[in-house]
Amino acid sequence: MTRIEPAAWAAMVAHARATYPNECCGAMLGAVDGGEKTVRKSLALQNAFEGAQAARYELRPEDLLAADKAARERNMDLIGIYHSHPDCDAYFSKTDLQNSCPWYSFVILSIQKGEFHHANSWLPNFEQTEAVKEELSY
Amino acid sequence: MAKILIPTPLRQFTGKQDSVSVSGATVGEALNALTAQFPDLRKQIFNDEGKVRSFVNVYLNDEDIRYLSKDATPAKDGDTISLVPSIAGGSIAAPPEQATLSNDEILRYSRHLIIPEVGIEGQQKLKAAKVLLVGAGGLGAPLGLYLAAAGVGRIGMVDFDVVDFTNLQRQVIHATKDVGRKKLDSAAEKMQAINPHVELVKHEVALSSENALDILKDYDIVVDGTDNFPTRYLVNDACVLLGKPNVYGSIFRFEGQATVFAYEGGPCYRCLYPEPPPPGLVPSCAEGGVLGILPGTIGLIQATETVKLILGIGEPLVGRLLLYDALAMRFRELKLRKNPECPVCGEHPTVTKLIDYQQFCGIPQAQPATAQEAKVNEGEIDVLELKEKIDRGDKFVLIDVREPHEYKICSILGARLIPLGEFPQHVGEFNPEDDIVIHCRSGMRSAKACNVLRQAGFGHVRNVVGGILAWADKVDPSVPKY
Repeated sequence: MTRIEPAAWAAMVAHARATYPNECCGAMLGAVDGGEKTVRKSLALQNAFEGAQAARYELRPEDLLAADKAARERNMDLIGIYHSHPDCDAYFSKTDLQNSCPWYSFVILSIQKGEFHHANSWLPNFEQTEAVKEELSY
Repeated sequence: MAKILIPTPLRQFTGKQDSVSVSGATVGEALNALTAQFPDLRKQIFNDEGKVRSFVNVYLNDEDIRYLSKDATPAKDGDTISLVPSIAGGSIAAPPEQATLSNDEILRYSRHLIIPEVGIEGQQKLKAAKVLLVGAGGLGAPLGLYLAAAGVGRIGMVDFDVVDFTNLQRQVIHATKDVGRKKLDSAAEKMQAINPHVELVKHEVALSSENALDILKDYDIVVDGTDNFPTRYLVNDACVLLGKPNVYGSIFRFEGQATVFAYEGGPCYRCLYPEPPPPGLVPSCAEGGVLGILPGTIGLIQATETVKLILGIGEPLVGRLLLYDALAMRFRELKLRKNPECPVCGEHPTVTKLIDYQQFCGIPQAQPATAQEAKVNEGEIDVLELKEKIDRGDKFVLIDVREPHEYKICSILGARLIPLGEFPQHVGEFNPEDDIVIHCRSGMRSAKACNVLRQAGFGHVRNVVGGILAWADKVDPSVPKY
């Protein structure tokens, strides 16, 4: 399961709301203890998708590399990626799946009419054909 | 020695080390040395063919090795190698691979190509699209004709029926000469004649829990043109499980409904109707009739939504149930919400694979397919026996529980008309000792009337197997069938 600490969660929601009606994206830093992941800090990253961003996002690998570095400097780990779905449920879409990675938790925030609605966390498989929902608390 | 930084989730394979120093003259050698040292790591980074997985980017210091010398990029002491996944996504599906259009196709689709919202790109999307029509009947007819004309690249059709005379009043894809032919053959011929560029796939089966996922998985969009509850639930559940939109339509007499179910985050059929109605409560078109023009309207609403979904334009009919009343010529809209408790698409689904939909809808497994094949059970009477009974001049009561407008089409001499709806009020007019025989069109409604009498203590009640249709087949060919 993934647990997001209040400050990190507040920053993620604020980021998603501020980016509405476009999709936001970012990294989640924290610690892993067995099967339990704790997010202590969220890091807003730039949506690098070229084109309309209302329903698409793309992370620059360089930014992810920087996020990993930032985590190491803080003695934390990069444990997940988050992004928002404006006016859409927090399901793991085909696009999400086909551009995912099995190493991280993928948290999606559903922002409806500019306000936070609900969130889910997903764990994709290696083949990028399936993702299972992971327990999420925030 | 170069240093390879290990991403957090992979440290379980490196004895918790967050970086590993390995020898190797190139990045490729360094990675091979790493995975030789930690074999469990190999599957994380390389695929079965030994290539770096598609989602992994390899960085030497701050540069992607794809822009250096790839695997052969030299690695020196003090260099840092990082594994960075490429991550993207979004709430909508990525556009499908583009199909190209020939000059013939450009001419054919010119009225599409000059609409800015469609254009070449949109027409290519249509050509790349794969749509499955479940049913080649009333709704399937306009759907098949127009989607073929519009240039949907691959159209699959599921149907195992043959064309009969009662279809022709509305199933405009079939002609009089096609009566007796497989609906799939008849429909495919018309569609191919309209547009030879379209690839047609015929699935001559009854869609079932065993074959549905296998058939549906190869399509982008499923269009439900069925007329029975088990198949409707089956199509819905299969679409939810596969994550395919279900473009739904239904018709009855003068009214129709349409919506798009199971479209990325929207409600499904079970959010609207968690349970099927009791069997027999909602009549089918065969039982209740349908205005022949109606499926044209509803089928084309489905076709419109299908084309919109493919093109990704406009406002899809998601979360809205469109109701059409042909008599009033009015459209209304009901808001549909996704039910968080929905057994198939909710937060904690209980239906995670296809079930027995006949049983779910309360329909007995072995139903006689036609009146001719029907076996006469206790409490039933065959039409030939009924004829003998009439000819012998037996004293008995014959009741017809159809509607007055059906009685006007045809009737059996001596039968008293009491429509099923009014039947319970008339029970007092009969004697429990009477010999009573009840018929309707095919034997379904009269079976219910028989049960009403039996529950009231009547001992000699029999249902006419196959109804007046069987009477027309076996006793009196001058009686018209409808």
